Amino acid sequence: MVFSSMTFLYYFLPAVLLIYFVVPAKGKNVVLLISSLIFYGWGESRAINIAGHPVLYGYVLFMLLTILVGYLSALVIEKYKDKVTGRITLIIALFCCLLGLGFFKYANFFIEIVAGIIGVTPRLLDIALPIGISFYTFQLISYVVDVYRGQVKAIRNPITLYTYVIMFPQLIAGPIVRYSDVEQELSHRTHSIPMVREGIVRFVIGLGKKVLIANQLGALVDVAKSVQENSVTLSWVCAIAAALQIYFDFSGYSDMAIGLGRILGFRFPENFDYPYVSKSITEFWRRWHMTLGGWFRDYVYIPMGGSRVGKGRLIFNLLVVWSLTGLWHGATMNFVVWGLFFGVLLIIEKLFILSYLQKAKGINHIYVLMATVISFVIFSCDTLGQAGAMLKNMFGMGGLSLMTKESLYHVASYGFTLFVAIIGATPLVKKIAQRAMAAAEKYKLDTVLESVVLALILILSTAHIVDGSFNPFLYFRF
Amino acid sequence: MSEKERRTKGILTVIVIGVLFYGYSLLCLIKPSQDMSLSERRPLKQRPELKVEALASGEYSDDFEEYALDQAAFRDELRTAKSVYQSVIMRKLDHQGYYLTNGYISRLDYPLDTESIDNATERFRYIYDTYLADKDVSIYMSIIPDKNYFNEKLLYPAYDYNELVVRTREGMEYAQYISIMNTLSMEDYYKTDTHLRQERLAGVADFMGREMNVSVDTIYDEIKVTDDFKGVYYSQFGFPMRGEEMYYLTNSNLEDMIIYDHENNRQISMYDMEALEGNDPYEFYLHGPLSLITIENPNVSTVKELVIFRDSFGSNIAPLLATGYRKVTLVDIRYLPSNRLGQFIEFENQDVLFLYSTGVLNNSETLK
Repeated sequence: MVFSSMTFLYYFLPAVLLIYFVVPAKGKNVVLLISSLIFYGWGESRAINIAGHPVLYGYVLFMLLTILVGYLSALVIEKYKDKVTGRITLIIALFCCLLGLGFFKYANFFIEIVAGIIGVTPRLLDIALPIGISFYTFQLISYVVDVYRGQVKAIRNPITLYTYVIMFPQLIAGPIVRYSDVEQELSHRTHSIPMVREGIVRFVIGLGKKVLIANQLGALVDVAKSVQENSVTLSWVCAIAAALQIYFDFSGYSDMAIGLGRILGFRFPENFDYPYVSKSITEFWRRWHMTLGGWFRDYVYIPMGGSRVGKGRLIFNLLVVWSLTGLWHGATMNFVVWGLFFGVLLIIEKLFILSYLQKAKGINHIYVLMATVISFVIFSCDTLGQAGAMLKNMFGMGGLSLMTKESLYHVASYGFTLFVAIIGATPLVKKIAQRAMAAAEKYKLDTVLESVVLALILILSTAHIVDGSFNPFLYFRF
Repeated sequence: MSEKERRTKGILTVIVIGVLFYGYSLLCLIKPSQDMSLSERRPLKQRPELKVEALASGEYSDDFEEYALDQAAFRDELRTAKSVYQSVIMRKLDHQGYYLTNGYISRLDYPLDTESIDNATERFRYIYDTYLADKDVSIYMSIIPDKNYFNEKLLYPAYDYNELVVRTREGMEYAQYISIMNTLSMEDYYKTDTHLRQERLAGVADFMGREMNVSVDTIYDEIKVTDDFKGVYYSQFGFPMRGEEMYYLTNSNLEDMIIYDHENNRQISMYDMEALEGNDPYEFYLHGPLSLITIENPNVSTVKELVIFRDSFGSNIAPLLATGYRKVTLVDIRYLPSNRLGQFIEFENQDVLFLYSTGVLNNSETLK
């Protein structure tokens, strides 16, 4: 179930919130767990073939089993802390978690690579990627490792662990919430009108970002890809639109998740902080998909030695982390190259130019924007060949003219949408909104203004959902 | 800000959004399902049946979402809101492929699909080779442009109409081309529909008649049938617009004509008043999409007959052409496969006119 669907917005969510707030505090986790299972099962009811027998809701069962492994492992790890049994249990737990992710997400990728090397036609497995597997696997790993490190206590009540991992606001597209982030709230959380208001504001803004901006940019990207008379200008517009679409799509979804969490009494970690205003790629990754970056930092990069190592080892560490970051996003060479592209830029920055970038006003922003736009061309194309062709077109090596009549039409038609998206990707809109609220507050109209703006966003988003066929969610494939 | 003030602020937002959210949700739940969307002219998805197979394939959740979208409360109003927002606020030049210029809605049809043009001319050649090649018939061909033709100088992308005509003519060298494109203007079209207005076609019919060496009537009475005609583009575009006037032409010759619908074996009227209340009021002219119709004109002295291979544009110009012929046969090969024509029509000593719109030529997969 997608947040920006009629089923979720006007059938599932109203029912869940009503029940959630009616039941006493003790039963709230159970309500959350059951509703999350319905949420997941709704979109993932597909059967898995086990020994020739189709098992309905196989992917749901697989997820429940994976969490059970995490639950039992954590108890054993805690009991045998600092002992061989604890260490072996940790290895087994990590192996089980990564085995599932590896099988469903990467089996066909590696089959294709091996078949390519030995020169045979690959016989791919008939498996589909379970929705959200990358997110819930990483959450489970962080939980088990944190228990091993003694940073959190193992959960005794399985409902608490299941609620933590499966909780629908963050299950299928993050943010990657660590157990330590919500440990207190899972057992004792408060609910209040200001919290619900905060959650509503965040959720509705996220919905607007997704439906009113990201989906429109996506339509432009689609149009630009199928255009008959392409041009250099349209190729650039398409690339910029793709980079902005990914940002609004994912950050919008994260906003909705954080907002829902707030309504339900949780405070999820932030995931985006205006990444396109960064002055370096190092800063960009502190502002983009922050929970994933933090996860790789704490569970891969630092255990490998982090940056307190020699130059050679540092380069190796960064390349490993960024290859894995790329692979996390998808099992194609595009994602590996995308990850390595960032890895190489980060190495160059760390070793040579980071201090210069901090001072080079203007140039640093142009550098970050160019690098991210190029990276998202690689990211959003299906093959490296497609990405190469697109980059050639952008840099005038594809034999295209600067502009054609058809290109001009699409650029003009989506020009304002693109302008709004560019402005919206900076903190400017937030500043304007804060000033408007402050001005309205003088006349005691700030609450009215807030309600009217949110109502308008909700109505317009609903209108676009009702009439729109273009409503993909990019991060579902991860 | 005091805690009390913060709480009050929260309450107002929660109430406004809560009422909107739960109110709309409730409306969607209690609203009875509709079978058809009158504005979109399509059947609406009904609540799917819960079956294990549908669940196992993931079909059920997809079907339910489709149902929720189709049966959403205030669907038409929300579609309009989206159209206005995209056109007025976001300055989009088209909305889902439809755009407005000087009060006329047009639909982008781009680029030129040369394979489609070739497919159409191959279909026509089959008809020529099978039924017409060795017969005493005069063959004509004419093309009706879509509204994009008149917006060529604007920013909107449009294909090269000249290329379309040349390619069609090259594929139909056996037919004499009657060029009517320059006799038409945007004002000859309905504002909210793809089609031409009949009351503006007397001159075009007269010109075509002269090209085919027959004399058609030029004087008609213009009768208004409605002030509120809303064509097929109106609903697709979703932008709020006024309905427009719709007329039909008649005179004593037209009134005496005998029209027969061979698809349903019945005599029909020239104009169908009931269609005005239906999904597509343009079906008022000759009862809409019928595969085979004959119009007999008892008042004319000539024995000449005309066979028109046509699309929906032919429905309101054919009656005017019929004033110059004893009998006109209208064939729509989108519904009647061309290999079956011999069962219904005897081709001998007739004028044959291929009259097609650019829209059908450029999307000719429906021609059989």
